[in-house]
Amino acid sequence: MSERLIVIGGGGAGTAASTIAKRANPDMRVGVFSEFPDIAYSPCGIPYAHGREIPEFQNLFLSTVQRYVEDGLEMHMETTVTDIDLDRRTVTARNKHEGFDKLILCTGFHWEQPAVPGANLEGLHYVKDIRRAMEFDKELDSMKRAVVIGGMWLGVEMSGALARRGLEVQFIDEGPWLLSELVDPDVAEPAQEALEKLGVNVRMGTKLLGFEGGAGGRVRAVSTSGGELECDVAVICLHKLPNTSLAESIGLSLGTTGAVVVDDHMRTSAPGVWAAGDVVEVPHGLSMLPITGLTGSHAYSQGRVAGANAAGEDRVYDPVWIPWGFMSGDYTIGGFSIGETLAEAMGIPYVVAKGVGVSRARYFPGAARTHVKLLAEPGTLRLIGAQLHGGEGIKERCDFLAFVGKRGATLEDLAWMENIYSPPIGALYEPIQIAAQNGLAEQRAREREAVPA
Amino acid sequence: MSPSGVTEQKRRLRARSEQVLRMAAMDDVARRYPRRTVPSALSDEGPFWRFVFVPLYRRVPWEFKARAMRKLKMTAQGWPEQSRRFGEPWRPPAPSASRSDPE
Repeated sequence: MSERLIVIGGGGAGTAASTIAKRANPDMRVGVFSEFPDIAYSPCGIPYAHGREIPEFQNLFLSTVQRYVEDGLEMHMETTVTDIDLDRRTVTARNKHEGFDKLILCTGFHWEQPAVPGANLEGLHYVKDIRRAMEFDKELDSMKRAVVIGGMWLGVEMSGALARRGLEVQFIDEGPWLLSELVDPDVAEPAQEALEKLGVNVRMGTKLLGFEGGAGGRVRAVSTSGGELECDVAVICLHKLPNTSLAESIGLSLGTTGAVVVDDHMRTSAPGVWAAGDVVEVPHGLSMLPITGLTGSHAYSQGRVAGANAAGEDRVYDPVWIPWGFMSGDYTIGGFSIGETLAEAMGIPYVVAKGVGVSRARYFPGAARTHVKLLAEPGTLRLIGAQLHGGEGIKERCDFLAFVGKRGATLEDLAWMENIYSPPIGALYEPIQIAAQNGLAEQRAREREAVPA
Repeated sequence: MSPSGVTEQKRRLRARSEQVLRMAAMDDVARRYPRRTVPSALSDEGPFWRFVFVPLYRRVPWEFKARAMRKLKMTAQGWPEQSRRFGEPWRPPAPSASRSDPE
């Protein structure tokens, strides 16, 4: 009898884990259990479908359940696993026991809910399930005012999308600048301006006090430290929290983030059980401190590693350096690892190298200013973080910087790097080089000042 | 206290310490960029954290803190050491962890 692998969860990690396991070991029986009816869609595209930049929600579906069945996977959709028995090697779903030899937990996350009065009212929307998003999209046609709560990336994307859709949008967050948990004020400023250009009213330093109910127990206003904001809907975009109830029920070790502890093979503390995606914590490459709540691409990669290892391969997942990026209105911001604020918070010493270049030859139509800020270790000048903003090419630069940062590149390396010069796609002087050269020049100036005359 | 209670206490301690360190850092960074920031409305965790914990944490050099975090197993366990520690010259990544399979 061939081995049976059960994967719990049908998001990015679960889909990748099951597919890769089947591909690596075609004899293995692979079953996927998901509480949702759909698989292989892009939840990250949901804000853009609301904003009509993606014309139809159907475009977000990348494959079908049937396609996975044809690939040899046992698909158990809309089937919630309620219990796991590690001794008997069974999971329970719909009061039926299903046996397994190996198990991968990809149970994902849920959104943090605000601990204020009225948080259980109708009309508070969380962005996650695509079916709910499609229903919400129809409701949007009859709505005029939205309040978006929470200064994480999703809040910025949803604010921009709802403004594009023609709603009057109020964005509130307690932080002293936009995305203050993620970016520095100099990067936040143009991102905020881009949102305001779309008509979003950005209210930073504003505390959420509660939700006021109206007819039928539906939210009619959001109460804040800056006054009451009337609305037809409140969109909540706080932190992602790992869904660990099943993991806890079988005694898996949880870490200091509250997520499941895994090793570099995505193995949990129980033999024959792996985990991947938003339910796990993995180390940050700079500090080796565990972190959780990363991106869809991290979940997908972790799922691939877990699936390959469950199928008998020997794959290692590296500590993460977290390249990130997204659109704020029509403007792009991105980075990797840490910025000045997080470095200050952790107490990590750093020097800053800043520069501004252009995304293509400055005479070529469409050239956009590209702002680069690099953080490096004092002394060695090894790259430890970056934040960028501008137009085209931000994403690729952040991917590149995260990779070379992981491999130990220094400001010296970047200052003298090779680059592509082709007028429509790249300028003669790469913006990253400019920032690194400026950083080196400042270093030399500091060293000269430090030497007594 | 049960193991899950200890885990929850550790999670809360980490969340709270990160929150106060981040808030203190935001105050400092905001002073560097005054034109671009507004007063924060984030909840203050109390005088102990602001006036005792933050200054103490800041007095300890990062290299020492990083070493202490490794010794106290606050860093991720079951992962290969970083290819390079803070301040060391670069060297190639270590081969993958050669742990025996628990199965």
